[in-house]
Amino acid sequence: MNLAAVMDAISARLDTIAGLRCFPYPPAKLTPPAAVVSYPDTYTFDETYGRGMDRISLPVVVVVGKVSDRAARDQLGAYCNGSGASSVKQVLESGTYTAFHAVRVASIEFDVVSIAGVDYIAALFTLDIAGSGTS
Amino acid sequence: MTFVHSKTTVITVGGSDLSAFTNESSFGRKADKHDVTCYGKSDHVYAPGLGDGDFSMGGLYDNSVTGPRDVLEPLVGTMVTVIRKPEGTGSGLPQDSFSSLLEEYVETSPVADYVKWTAKFQPSDTVTSTNQA
Repeated sequence: MNLAAVMDAISARLDTIAGLRCFPYPPAKLTPPAAVVSYPDTYTFDETYGRGMDRISLPVVVVVGKVSDRAARDQLGAYCNGSGASSVKQVLESGTYTAFHAVRVASIEFDVVSIAGVDYIAALFTLDIAGSGTS
Repeated sequence: MTFVHSKTTVITVGGSDLSAFTNESSFGRKADKHDVTCYGKSDHVYAPGLGDGDFSMGGLYDNSVTGPRDVLEPLVGTMVTVIRKPEGTGSGLPQDSFSSLLEEYVETSPVADYVKWTAKFQPSDTVTSTNQA
């Protein structure tokens, strides 16, 4: 797998969610609601013999609005739902990709991130991606 | 002497290279033993018997025509030639070749992981262990 191509493909697919600004790498600044494809937690080589399969644990951070804002909770909820047009899991797992073979949205953790002095609620999605070790 | 990493292992079954879908394999050789102890002995005495062995492999399922399902499932219950190269392909590297009965092919589907497969073989007759040309 080509890491840059994988990150680009994930961002492009997320960009099909209406109203969500997507970045294939961490930007210098962003305006919520936004999704940022960050660098892998782990990039595991040699899942099979002969460079057959590699595996990437890739984080995607979705930032929506202020922690104290009820509308932000509702909006983040739509991204975190297991299904629906705005569901990150549904949208990513229903895509077709050439940069890798398969993606599973494995889990979400929630955190508060500070952007320009404002605390935003954020969802940290962990993607389990598998693809060829030689292309 | 150097340690050798398993990632370079190559395994072909019936001429199909399944290495790219395989992440575990085991090849064992053993021999029967015969107890030939007679009176007057304080300890058992053994004589060697026939050789035997076992071979198994497994890995990650792939839905291509060269993947384990399309290759192995039709071969269950048949004799196939297994070639195992524990250090990979290269001149002078070791290779085991043997005829083998493919006894079982199993696919498992853990809900939070990729589909996996295993296959169990019963080697039959002589194992040819050589260095690759």
